[in-house]
Amino acid sequence: MAVAPAIRAASVPEPAQASLWTDAWRRLRRNRLALAAAIYLVLLVAVALVALFYTPYRMSATGIAPDYAPPSLAHWFGADNLGRDQLSRLMIGAQISLVVGVGTQLLVLAVGVPIGLLAGYYRGWIDSVVTFIINVFYGVPDLLVALILVFLLGPSLANIIIAIVATRWMDMARLVRGQTLALREREFVEAGRASGAKPMKMLFGHIMPNALGPIIVQATFGVPAAILFEAFLSFLGAGVQQPTPSWGSMAKDGVDAIRFAPHMVIIPSIALSLTLMAFNFLGDGLRDALDPRSRR
Amino acid sequence: MPTPILQVRDLRTQFLTDGGIVTAVDGVSFDLYPGESLGIVGESGSGKSVTALSLLRLVPDPGKIVGGQVLFRNEDLLQISEDEIRQIRGRDIAMIFQDPQSSLNPVLKTGFQVDEAMLAHGKTKAEAHARTIELLKKVRIPAAESRVKDFPHQLSGGMRQRAMIAMGLANTPSILIADEPTTALDVTVQAQILELLADLNRELGMAIMMITHNMGVVAGLCSRVIVMYAGQIVEEGPVEQIFDSPQHPYTWSLLRSIPRVDALRHERLRSIEGIAPDLLHPPAGCRFHPRCPFRIEKCFTDDPTLQDVAPNQRAKCWVTMERARREMHADDLVNIQPGAGSGVRPGDQT
Repeated sequence: MAVAPAIRAASVPEPAQASLWTDAWRRLRRNRLALAAAIYLVLLVAVALVALFYTPYRMSATGIAPDYAPPSLAHWFGADNLGRDQLSRLMIGAQISLVVGVGTQLLVLAVGVPIGLLAGYYRGWIDSVVTFIINVFYGVPDLLVALILVFLLGPSLANIIIAIVATRWMDMARLVRGQTLALREREFVEAGRASGAKPMKMLFGHIMPNALGPIIVQATFGVPAAILFEAFLSFLGAGVQQPTPSWGSMAKDGVDAIRFAPHMVIIPSIALSLTLMAFNFLGDGLRDALDPRSRR
Repeated sequence: MPTPILQVRDLRTQFLTDGGIVTAVDGVSFDLYPGESLGIVGESGSGKSVTALSLLRLVPDPGKIVGGQVLFRNEDLLQISEDEIRQIRGRDIAMIFQDPQSSLNPVLKTGFQVDEAMLAHGKTKAEAHARTIELLKKVRIPAAESRVKDFPHQLSGGMRQRAMIAMGLANTPSILIADEPTTALDVTVQAQILELLADLNRELGMAIMMITHNMGVVAGLCSRVIVMYAGQIVEEGPVEQIFDSPQHPYTWSLLRSIPRVDALRHERLRSIEGIAPDLLHPPAGCRFHPRCPFRIEKCFTDDPTLQDVAPNQRAKCWVTMERARREMHADDLVNIQPGAGSGVRPGDQT
């Protein structure tokens, strides 16, 4: 008797059609560029994790190499103006960039998605208020808002994330609002309401899952935008404070020495560019993979 | 006669459009008895679907219920709170829709969606899950155990509608409103779904309100029928009686427009002349008069009320088919142009 279930399980064929997600994953894998970007990002995350426990040198230790030392075997990416090891600083910088990029987008999701859902589903005065606030936020220059916030709150990593979220949540809210406006007219929403589902269940259980594709794509594109914004803030000196390195502040440190120690600008800039490109290519790939119209 | 489970009184639903007010449901009153199957028939725009949606207060914007009562268990569903009506939906009165393709959520597994119909009304996850398979079996979905894990797009149209019906049955409601449940399906599948509904109606003693434009569906499933035209009930009565001797000219022409196997080959299908009225500017008098072959002068100016024309049968007509047959040779009429039987043309009535 013990073998009977095994035999039955073996004779049931796997369903031929895949779900939305396995389908999207299959399409994503066929996209070489997106795949390469994903592999790069996995490596970057690995580097950032390794940097939690190990860096070749202590990132804040000065005078480890001669000031402005060019890349060598001992110091692959050279040293900066205080003789600190660039590779170690780059690794810590990767942590900062990833935390800022991903942390910002998680907060943007937490703020933008519920606001967009509520505005799109209930319309009426809620929608008017939300749309007005979104327009106000779009109206003021994002750099100004971020700088003021950082100066008011103080330049800690958390405050930088908050400042970036304050200038970037509107894109997500607007996207989700638009998706919800379209989805609420679909018959399954009416059917859900007719079966007595609670409003919150309709929003988060029925409408949001249908908008997940565009939401994921938007969040993926939001990550590099946030990383760039942080680098820019750091470049202006309003970012993460010394001695903690960020790719933006590393480039800033190198600007004065660009004639005789170009590696100080070039190396963090390349790291930044590659990361931005990788996120953008991955976002593009995800958009194609999750778009139902590009099926097959 | 048993006491009705649902009493609708003078229901009025309006849509506020840019062009003005459209009264989609205009003073509709009817009773639904426990365990009966009632058909509501009418062409597109007759207000049958809006009537059904109004009962559960699901009328989409910019629609608004402006008057009337919907009495269910001594409560007026139009007066209770939003949370109370939410609890009635799906638990006491369930509804299934026309297109199972779009009324199932495409990104959620079918079984999960049936579960949810029960979770919304206080069942635990384990209870709901066990009952889902039982329900899918009840609506005759083969291999129900494995189908619960399928997404809607992996099911055929007929199976999707069965899954919708399973969701409708989940909380053993006393009323099931079916809004054109077979329109989007193949003819053979239509027959299976109707048969399933008829069986469920018998087995569970659940009242079914069938909204349809198809007289054939009514004949197959319903015991009583309400015919709607331009937001109003124009005739109601037992199905056999209505098919045998319709008293409203609209019902009469509707029945004549059904293709018949026993008709002579060269006979043309008889459509109803004219188009459904523009509800922004409904015609004066009887709303059917611009298309009615048997209209008299009075029809242009005075709106008739529903009155008894036979036992259990009521029609909203000044003339009624009995008189049309007697005086206007209705059955010999081949050409049913407006006014063809009575000879009354617009302008004659002055």
